[in-house]
Amino acid sequence: MNNPKNTLTSGLLSDNTVLSACMVISPVIICGDTLRNSLALIYAFTLITFFSVFISSFVPKKLPYTIKIIIYAIISSLLYVPIKLLAEQIYPESISRVGIYYPLLAVNSLIVYQTEAKFYRMKKFEMTGSLIFYILGFDVVMLITGFLRELLAYGTINSRMVDMNIVIKGLSHPFGGFIFLGLLCGIYRKVRIVAENSKKNSEEESHVSY
Amino acid sequence: MFLINGLVALLASNLILSQALGTSTLFIAAGSKKNLIGTATVITIFTTLGSASAYLINQIFGEKYSDFTLLFYTLAVGILYIAILIVFYLINKNAFEKTKKYIHISAFNCAVMGTLFTISGNEAVSAEKYTFIDYLSCGFEAGIGFIIAALILTAAFRKLNSSKVPTSFRGFPAMLVYLGIISMAVYSLK
Repeated sequence: MNNPKNTLTSGLLSDNTVLSACMVISPVIICGDTLRNSLALIYAFTLITFFSVFISSFVPKKLPYTIKIIIYAIISSLLYVPIKLLAEQIYPESISRVGIYYPLLAVNSLIVYQTEAKFYRMKKFEMTGSLIFYILGFDVVMLITGFLRELLAYGTINSRMVDMNIVIKGLSHPFGGFIFLGLLCGIYRKVRIVAENSKKNSEEESHVSY
Repeated sequence: MFLINGLVALLASNLILSQALGTSTLFIAAGSKKNLIGTATVITIFTTLGSASAYLINQIFGEKYSDFTLLFYTLAVGILYIAILIVFYLINKNAFEKTKKYIHISAFNCAVMGTLFTISGNEAVSAEKYTFIDYLSCGFEAGIGFIIAALILTAAFRKLNSSKVPTSFRGFPAMLVYLGIISMAVYSLK
């Protein structure tokens, strides 16, 4: 039987938005090269996704699928306007660097497709909890990527110089983003496999002891 | 020589390999030849017609309403989404049932929306103003770029998903690293 707690938090670990579900990876690859860019993207993604999915949950379910998808996209596009205007005040430098990836966050698969496939099959309270963890799943990956790529590519943390002997410039480029995310994803899977195996072993041991 | 130059230009301006736009959709498309043809065709239709709509939107609203560009593009893609579904339905009802999933996947994704923003962005930094034909050809080029990237990934898809690849890197992680290496090669062409 599914543990309800696991279902609620699955978006963070077992069904991570980026590493497991392979969604919203373009901004991580291209813009996740510095911590500041990552924070600007986290801010926009969190607000747009949460409010879009929540508001869209009030759209009548009887409407045809295509119409619902278009309405979800329009809601997020409308929400994008004030969030972008606010971001220009908070992250003025990052907004210009992030460029077209900022508006693209508003039509991410979590809002447009996962709403129908996942969130709207849940009750409102459960949906809100699960949504928060799916958003956190993206935020954590974005933060780790931004931190590590900035450190390794530029030798800085949040634009402050760090005593690094070797920098890998390639990590700041799109190809570096692809390779870094591929490696991160592989490590994530390896950790999950090890954790699942150790859990199985401990369960078997407890059965034997009984 | 002309063909080689054209291919190099297409690769260098490839939105997936240089900007990672539509990578998630690409992974779905590269799974089988049937998926690849279906998704790539529909995405090309969307990028081409979407670019034409972007031209009209930019002409009508211009810089004054730039904050609402995403909303206008979303509305345009939404109208295209319905129109394409209706056209496919009218052409052949049986074929429509088989193809509608590709239309659903292709409508709102980074490959399509990213293309519209990229063309508008390129026009903004260009010295010359883009014409309707420029928008159309750029949109079509982006669709062809998606097909090329999907073909490159399809060529290695089985090997990247084979049992010879360690379990934790099989599939998605290996495909990302593979695309990274191809992207590096494309980067050197610029």
